[in-house]
Amino acid sequence: MLLQPSFIIGSILVIILTYLVIAPIISIFSNSVSLTMMDAMLSGGKDGAFTYKYIDRVFTSSISEKIFWTPLKNSITVSFFATLIALALGLILASLVTSTNIFGRRYLGFLLIIPYMLPSQAMATAWLTMFKNRKISGPPGMLESFGFTPPDWLAYGPLPISICMALSYFPFAFLLFSSALSKIDIQLEEVASTLGAKTKAIWTKIILPLLIPTTMSVLLLTVARTLGTFATPYILGTPAKYTLLSTSLYSSVRSNESGVVAVLAIVLSLIGVMLLLVDIWVVRKWQRFVTVGGKGIKRQPSKLGLFRTPTTIFAWLIFLLAALGPFVVLALSTLMREPGNFSFSNFGLAYWTGVNVPGMDQPGMFTSPEVLTALKNSFLIAGSASIICGALGLLIGYAVVRLPGTLISGFLRQISFLPYLMPGLAFAAAYLSLFAVARGPIPALYGSISLLILVMVVTYLPYASRSGISAMMQVGPEPEEAGMVLGAGFWRRIVSILAPLQKSALVIAIILPFITGMKELSLVVMLVTPGTELLTTQSIRFLDFGYTQLANATILIIGVVVMISVLILNRVTKTNLASGLGG
Amino acid sequence: MSEIKLNSLVKNFGGNSLAVDNLSVTFPSGEFVCLLGPSGCGKTTTLRMIAGLERPDSGEIFCGDQTYFSSNTGEYLKTEKRNLGLMFQSYALWPHMTVFQNIVFGLDMKNVSSSEKDKKFVELENLFQLKNLKNRYPSELSGGQQQRVALARMLAVNPNLLLLDEPLSNLDSNLRLEMRAELKRLHQTLGCTIVFVTHDQMEAMTLATSIAVMNKGIIEQLAKPMEIYKNPKSLFVAKFVGSPQMNIVDFNDGEQLALSLLNKTKFDRNNVKTLGIRPESIKLTSKDNGDINGKIETIQPTGADWIVGLNISGKSIFAISSDQPPGNENDIIGLSFKLDGLHTFDRNDLKLEADKK
Repeated sequence: MLLQPSFIIGSILVIILTYLVIAPIISIFSNSVSLTMMDAMLSGGKDGAFTYKYIDRVFTSSISEKIFWTPLKNSITVSFFATLIALALGLILASLVTSTNIFGRRYLGFLLIIPYMLPSQAMATAWLTMFKNRKISGPPGMLESFGFTPPDWLAYGPLPISICMALSYFPFAFLLFSSALSKIDIQLEEVASTLGAKTKAIWTKIILPLLIPTTMSVLLLTVARTLGTFATPYILGTPAKYTLLSTSLYSSVRSNESGVVAVLAIVLSLIGVMLLLVDIWVVRKWQRFVTVGGKGIKRQPSKLGLFRTPTTIFAWLIFLLAALGPFVVLALSTLMREPGNFSFSNFGLAYWTGVNVPGMDQPGMFTSPEVLTALKNSFLIAGSASIICGALGLLIGYAVVRLPGTLISGFLRQISFLPYLMPGLAFAAAYLSLFAVARGPIPALYGSISLLILVMVVTYLPYASRSGISAMMQVGPEPEEAGMVLGAGFWRRIVSILAPLQKSALVIAIILPFITGMKELSLVVMLVTPGTELLTTQSIRFLDFGYTQLANATILIIGVVVMISVLILNRVTKTNLASGLGG
Repeated sequence: MSEIKLNSLVKNFGGNSLAVDNLSVTFPSGEFVCLLGPSGCGKTTTLRMIAGLERPDSGEIFCGDQTYFSSNTGEYLKTEKRNLGLMFQSYALWPHMTVFQNIVFGLDMKNVSSSEKDKKFVELENLFQLKNLKNRYPSELSGGQQQRVALARMLAVNPNLLLLDEPLSNLDSNLRLEMRAELKRLHQTLGCTIVFVTHDQMEAMTLATSIAVMNKGIIEQLAKPMEIYKNPKSLFVAKFVGSPQMNIVDFNDGEQLALSLLNKTKFDRNNVKTLGIRPESIKLTSKDNGDINGKIETIQPTGADWIVGLNISGKSIFAISSDQPPGNENDIIGLSFKLDGLHTFDRNDLKLEADKK
């Protein structure tokens, strides 16, 4: 038993993961109640002594209103509206695409999930490029150049934040609703029609009630996502001094308030855990709604009659607003020397080539050392994180599946899921506090590429280990045992039997985290330092300095890389993200 | 109580062959009709067209004096207007509704008053032994209870016609026997026309008052169950109905046996392509006492009788014997053929009539 490869691998994994997952959590809890060196020097007391100071500061002090209560209120407001809009859009569009004869439904199924592939700041910067007014520096917005000055409430604050988040996150609702709709046993509807139910009654009495569990899941998960989003409130909220919990946490990090950061991160995590527990409870409670699939007959698309054209226009309009629009706005802004001037001579590649860049002392995209470094870093960090993550996922899968019923198996399963509970920002804060200084044999990693890789690996571990476990489950021990009987050693079995069987699982386990990693912002934004910037953080940097066009160009590059990765993924898995949408 | 008339019904799903190929048939009022056939023969498509869940490409469907569909006049009655009952193999109970809500759904659609709904529910509750299940959800019911709820839901609206899609295939064998009796009793009480679909010939034989054997989108034979068994009109029907299935020989595959069987009929070799003999029509005797000799290959006792595998000059066949076989494995015994189980088929695989001497 002790010399079994699975046991050795399992034990090593237990040690590594304990440090990588549990230690940051402990560290953040201890930070929330221990005096920092700075405060110890300022107000007396011993460095690291137990204190309620930071908890007081966040919840009851005179600045609690500014750093916690108002951001909390704002977060709830924005999440509420963003989720509501995303849910409604997702449900309506999924129903139209899966179940009606709307024009172009085959294409819409794929096109409507494009916003999901764009980094979250794409929508916000596109909005800014369009609606920006003179309140903040940098080149004017497009509407401003046309002579219309957008009012502040339209340019910044809760309204644009809610809309942008809704447009970024509705594809998630769309995907879940589409898959739920295509999973509903069509016979449930057919029986209703034999009993005299017309299409309307079938929807209100059968289909929509059956979607209740999906709706609850979409609701909770979208709320969780909006709460953890950093880019949108940072870009659109900051000019109006409209702070959300995520941006409040970020400013506390920037001002080195590690105690406050810890408390805020714990609050964010607790909200995350609470939402997840509610989701689990809901799923369990509505278990009886789960229907056994029928013979896989597809729903006949309902004929919309007079409504066919309006609904088609609506669906394509959403595509235009959420996917094509931002892309076009971003692209145009990088090609126009002056915003809003559509004369032919105004177009050019200046911002890309760096020749005669108007109005700034910056090189162009292709010549900027910062962009090149960020591009290299993005590929290096997301690339290595995803490869390590994929390998780790399979190893965890191997240990969990091959040591059934043991402590190691149960522990690995639980611990690799734990990072799922913490929003990226909170997790990054935990890593910041853990790795800012050298601890024992582990050096201070702050400011290094390895810290960014490490935090990405751990954050994506829940997905990787889940797919690793299910992949190993599917293979079963028999092929390996057959090899063992024939005298193949452990490495031989891995190389000749397991690896080939797991090839496509491995590819998926690597490309998916890579895509997420390329788009990642909230996780890394507080961990990067000059020299370790990624494309995503570099775009924020450009925005901070008012170089809107360069920021937009950077986001476009991310978008293109992500889309190419998605295409490769589709090729490899021979499926497409929109499959199961009908059409 | 209405008769079902299908006239030149055609349905194509875009494949090479038609799902339903120019089907014309009348199911008399009050019959318990079974559409029997292998998967892909068009039986479910036919049922779904009668239900209005699938629109035929052309042809006509009538139920009593109602026109369900006619490509001549362009009439098409929507499913919800056809007033029929449909039960699926999966029962398709709505998981989010209680037993009560499931059963009165059809009445809700007709805006029936709640006192009347309650009355109807109590009636069905008694008929189907659903006492105390009123507020349960389908996931809290056993398989048999689910099926009875599905039946009750179907009958709540007093349909003219009942359609059942593989009604028993989801049940284990004991429950199946029970539900078969239940369906049979139901048909006798209600007296309405029932059409059901199955690929299980045993189910068809035991339930139906008439069976339509379907193959490649057409009905090969429509007759009473015993008539189908005793007098199959085609080789396909002969092979499909009966278990173990009819022994089939021709002059290339088991010539000696074929000649011996042909000898019993009045046909000559030129007209006959294939011959078939039911396993129970082969009597086993001692060597040289029958029409032909054969070697015992296997003996499978089933309790009630013995299924005996025999080899006649290289051709393997099965016989069912209600007596202990007159020998053991590898013994040579005699076989004599009873005429009632002997069938001859021509070059088109159709039965040759008056085939006995």
